[in-house]
Amino acid sequence: MKYSNGFSLFLFFVLTIFTSLPTDASEYLKEIVRANDLYSEKRYAQSAQAYESLINKGVRNGYLYYNLANTYIRMGKTGPAVLNYIHARKWIPRDENLEANLKFAIQQTQDKIEPPAPGTLSTLFFWSNDFNLNELIYLAIGLNFVFWVSLALWLYFPSLKIIRNALFCFLLLSFFSIGVKLKNESDFKLGVVLVKSVEVKSGRAEDAVTLFQLHEGALVTVTDKYENWLEVRLNDEQKGWVPKNSMGT
Amino acid sequence: MKMFSGKIKKIVCLFLFLALNPVSQSFGQDISVTATVDKNRLTLEDVLQLSIIIQGTQNTPPPELSSLPDFRVVSAGTSSSTQYINTQRSVSITYNYRLTPMNTGTFVIGPARVRANGKTYSTQPITIAVQKPSNRETAGNRTAFVVTTLSSNKAYVGEQLVYTFRVFHRIDAKNLNLSLPFDKTRFHKEELGEPKSYNKIINGLQYHVQELSLALFPLKKGQYEIPSSIIELDLIHSTQNRSSRDPFSQFFGRRTRAEHKVLRSQPLSIEVLPLPDGAPEGFENIIGQFNISAELGKNDLEVGDTTTLTLTVSGKGNVRDISFEEPALKGYFKIYPDKPEFHQTIRNNEIMGEKVFKFALVPLEAGSRTLPKFSLPFFDPGKAQYRVAQTPPIPLNIKPSATKEKLNLVQSRQQDAQAPEIEILGRDIFPIYTELDKFQNARSHSSAFLGISFGSPVILFILSAFIIKQQKRMKYDVAFYRRRNAYKNANQRLKKMSALEHSGLSAPKEFGRELSEILREYIGNKLNLQGKAITAEEVEIRLKEADYESAEVTRKLLERCETLQFAPTTRGSTKELLGESENLIKLLEKQS
Repeated sequence: MKYSNGFSLFLFFVLTIFTSLPTDASEYLKEIVRANDLYSEKRYAQSAQAYESLINKGVRNGYLYYNLANTYIRMGKTGPAVLNYIHARKWIPRDENLEANLKFAIQQTQDKIEPPAPGTLSTLFFWSNDFNLNELIYLAIGLNFVFWVSLALWLYFPSLKIIRNALFCFLLLSFFSIGVKLKNESDFKLGVVLVKSVEVKSGRAEDAVTLFQLHEGALVTVTDKYENWLEVRLNDEQKGWVPKNSMGT
Repeated sequence: MKMFSGKIKKIVCLFLFLALNPVSQSFGQDISVTATVDKNRLTLEDVLQLSIIIQGTQNTPPPELSSLPDFRVVSAGTSSSTQYINTQRSVSITYNYRLTPMNTGTFVIGPARVRANGKTYSTQPITIAVQKPSNRETAGNRTAFVVTTLSSNKAYVGEQLVYTFRVFHRIDAKNLNLSLPFDKTRFHKEELGEPKSYNKIINGLQYHVQELSLALFPLKKGQYEIPSSIIELDLIHSTQNRSSRDPFSQFFGRRTRAEHKVLRSQPLSIEVLPLPDGAPEGFENIIGQFNISAELGKNDLEVGDTTTLTLTVSGKGNVRDISFEEPALKGYFKIYPDKPEFHQTIRNNEIMGEKVFKFALVPLEAGSRTLPKFSLPFFDPGKAQYRVAQTPPIPLNIKPSATKEKLNLVQSRQQDAQAPEIEILGRDIFPIYTELDKFQNARSHSSAFLGISFGSPVILFILSAFIIKQQKRMKYDVAFYRRRNAYKNANQRLKKMSALEHSGLSAPKEFGRELSEILREYIGNKLNLQGKAITAEEVEIRLKEADYESAEVTRKLLERCETLQFAPTTRGSTKELLGESENLIKLLEKQS
């Protein structure tokens, strides 16, 4: 009787957490339909505005970013297009259309800079590149549940030791994958040039030496920021500072 | 004693160091630097020997000579000496130089500077007079002389000239060192083989001649003087012979004396003419006399066969620079050009060359064809006119292929032609997504969600593990099983007794026995004892040992039950006893 009461309480908490998620989806779905219709009518500026307003309201969806990037491509704005494709890739990393369109957008830029190659950790945990953070978390939650169930079963059936150990390894891997994903998202923060051209300076001053020039849509890695300046890196040798308002991150 | 022998060793080592180390040789000895020459009057054919002698040390960097633009200076090595005179030790080092005069006149060899022990020492200046060679020796009776010739003193730009240098010497000559001062901006130079050596009699005197020829190609038009060529050599003079009867001469040979000489040729002048106007089309600065020939491997062949077209250009001049493009046969032939082969030969002191071009031809269509002429426009300096060397047209008969299936080349082309080629006409982006189910808002997860998601399986596991553990204990731990079920069993039996008591069917004696048994069994289960066999006193002792506070009350109740068993009373007392028993068991359950 005591146990059943405890379990009921637990279920109540769980259901409270899950059912307390906002369910105002229909509101913004209508807005998405409107933005898509505007796109179909080739009213790209209004369409982009509608997508942007959704993003500004806090909606985070890979397909939304993808549609917005497509709209910018149609408007001839390669910089915002590349930036939104990069944002979309964070949420829908396995989408083939996205990869193709991103490549197309990069080809439209003057500098034609490809996204940087994944680091050593990403190469080692290669599957983490194909999942977004939420998917990795769900995977870890699922594995966590299965593992503890297997642990309980093992108390009854000691022969399940191998399954228990295997599940434990998978669980650890899933946790490491989340770690790698988080580290990559913090270390390899990509930036895109949003203005026609920007001079990359040797220091955080307008009169500093211009090291090189980047053009709209150029992809760089943002390595540091200081007040209104961002430190950007093109490769191991080329890096410098650019005004923050010339870049999108 | 050991210390003393150590000191002696140190002193000996120091002495050896001072004696053997050249650095130490300057200690206690003044340093002086002097310059000497072997002669101060000489001719252009002579060489001056300059020696810089440094007394007092041998450890100095080489002297710094003053600028000597009228001499060519060559180092002739160093020599050092160490002398002991009356226990006085003196050291010196001599730097030798060989100065070859380039002009006549009076020249001053400026002071040479030597740095030693942190000081700079200078030599005294030396005045030298350089004269032309004396004319008392004519060309007919000179011991050695040089002659240079040019094949022509007038040439066109790019025309091949032959420059010949000859050194005549009547006595042995060694250590020949020739320098030919050509201006690289005016001439391209190529060697014409190895130097020749032969004998020649001039005015009845036999000379040994060494001859070197060079091909010169003028690069610029204009009047130009080829400066003197200079050769340095050692002439070996034999001094007075020992008597022929002297037996030692058989062993020691003749005595000789080496005379170092510098021989100069007369400068040569040449007029380089520009190429005349009217160069034919395709002229690419090919100058000389050339022949051209074309040869085909076979004139009758089938489609897919291979034949080789060999184009040979030979002649005198810059053959190396000749090149031909692929013949204009595309569409009819597949053409595979080979790397041209070039062979250079020297004939009559002139550079001759042959360049062979090969083209592998694979006919693609049947029919009669004619290979076009190959033309080589060039300038002939001998005739002072432009000419065009041509090959005759070559007829070719191509039959259809008899065995088509073996013609891999043709087959492969057909296969390629059949392969569908998709022409990319444009590029565009993939369309937008419109499926609304894709647009679910991806929210970032709260800490509570993550905590519950990851923590709940752990809690469930802990609960499960506890339950499993309890069940296992109930299964295998008898004491635990009895203790857990004691109250339940006792309670059930007490309820039955209560029902009997209410119905009035139970006798007081039986009632007392039954109640006593229930109590003792309950206590036995609780304490894992054989409850039925223990007495009231034992129950009190065991309960006290187990820290039950109601041990005494329990004993008294058990005694009353026993009293009822053996001295039955009224029904009211049984009801009271039953209630007390139920309360006691509840009390004991709380205390357990």
